[in-house]
Amino acid sequence: MLDERWLLWRLKRGSARALRRLYGKYEADLLTLAASLLGRPDQAEDVLQDVFVRFIESVETFELTGSLKGYLATCVANRARDLRRRNRSRPAGALETAERIASRQPGPLQRAIAGEQYERLSGALARLPYEQQEVILLHLKADLTFREIGQVQDVSPKTAESRYRYGIDKLRSMLNGQVEP
Amino acid sequence: MKRARDIERMVQDLRHPVDGQTHDRIVGHLLDALKRYQQTRAAARQPHTGRIIMKSPMTKLAVAAAIIGAVVLGLFEFIGSDAGSGIVWAEVARRVEASPGVIFRIKENGKGDPNEQWPNGYRVMQRNVTLSRMDWYRGDEIHRTVYFDLAGKTEIWVAHDKNVYSRQTMSDEKIQKMRADGLGWTDPQGLLNLGLSLEHHALGQKTIDGVLCEGIEATGPDGSTGRVWVGVETGYPVLVEIERIVDGNVRHTGTMDQFQWNVGLLPEDVEPEIPADYRPLE
Repeated sequence: MLDERWLLWRLKRGSARALRRLYGKYEADLLTLAASLLGRPDQAEDVLQDVFVRFIESVETFELTGSLKGYLATCVANRARDLRRRNRSRPAGALETAERIASRQPGPLQRAIAGEQYERLSGALARLPYEQQEVILLHLKADLTFREIGQVQDVSPKTAESRYRYGIDKLRSMLNGQVEP
Repeated sequence: MKRARDIERMVQDLRHPVDGQTHDRIVGHLLDALKRYQQTRAAARQPHTGRIIMKSPMTKLAVAAAIIGAVVLGLFEFIGSDAGSGIVWAEVARRVEASPGVIFRIKENGKGDPNEQWPNGYRVMQRNVTLSRMDWYRGDEIHRTVYFDLAGKTEIWVAHDKNVYSRQTMSDEKIQKMRADGLGWTDPQGLLNLGLSLEHHALGQKTIDGVLCEGIEATGPDGSTGRVWVGVETGYPVLVEIERIVDGNVRHTGTMDQFQWNVGLLPEDVEPEIPADYRPLE
């Protein structure tokens, strides 16, 4: 937390080193969050870049009240939701649909690095209702509380927690082979 | 059979692979955004008094003052997470920056030092982002005063030993030039950049004037060594020491102490009063 505050303090003064450290610190988790929510690595990278650029643009007046990671993760989740909405609102062409399906499949590099578990888990996550995916990822990858997630999803903390429990149970069933992912 | 906790752990460990090319591309975009941010920020910033001081006979004072910030802030760049230190350095940096004004004493010796009566001579500096006043003392006698009010565009020099003074209106060009060239110690960003090249090590704790302090030592690229001692309880710098070898064998030393942080400085309080018998310089 102190480290976050310190990096933020330096970033406000234009430190490129602080920017690199901040980005490097959260890159993997935020990219995983975006990729899992969107199911499209290309869009996930754009979301991450967009969130950080906006963050830099407004950093001078930014006041950290919780964790920076939580704040950035919330931005990623909001941006991902907007993108999904936009993707849904326009009819996908055949080529685009094929592209999306293809991009959901892990590439050779992804497979080599992350292995079977990555594939199974991300596949199972993608099968969950979006709100459940979101709450699981925000809670486990960004350490947000159910209260904070409730604010993101505009529901009560209890509802957020229920979504989490349902989601985890469903994931458990899928990964234990009881439900076909 | 996986339990809920196993699933949670799996999600926590889930990592989307990041390839180096993507990382570099995004970081490149972010650095561009940071550059734009810096430009916007620089354009909106208030003027500083640095350059004019550097051009004055009081150069050393300004340098010393700059070094305070350079050492303090430069060290912070490297300390980062405060590991191994009882002092929360990020908090110190924030306090120093947030202080609306500061008063401190400077003592120095070395070749070319106009304050030749070391160790009896000293200077008192009062400063905030637009005001700057320095008083030279020899023993208890005030010797010289120089004052800048950037907001009021006023510059005053007083030679108390000669009973003369100079009062001038600062031109916009001069202020603009100061903004472009000069970065006084009140500019954390400039000082931070200056301090980036400094290496440091912790000095541990010692009591200075009854105050328990924690110190750090840094060596600059020019070979100068700076030490900053921060009060453990207050979290503000208490003593700054600078040492430098000039011309191969002349040791130049300077200390800054007797800090008063969070002082509200107003032009009407800080502007020097010119005694009636002083004559203006042409």
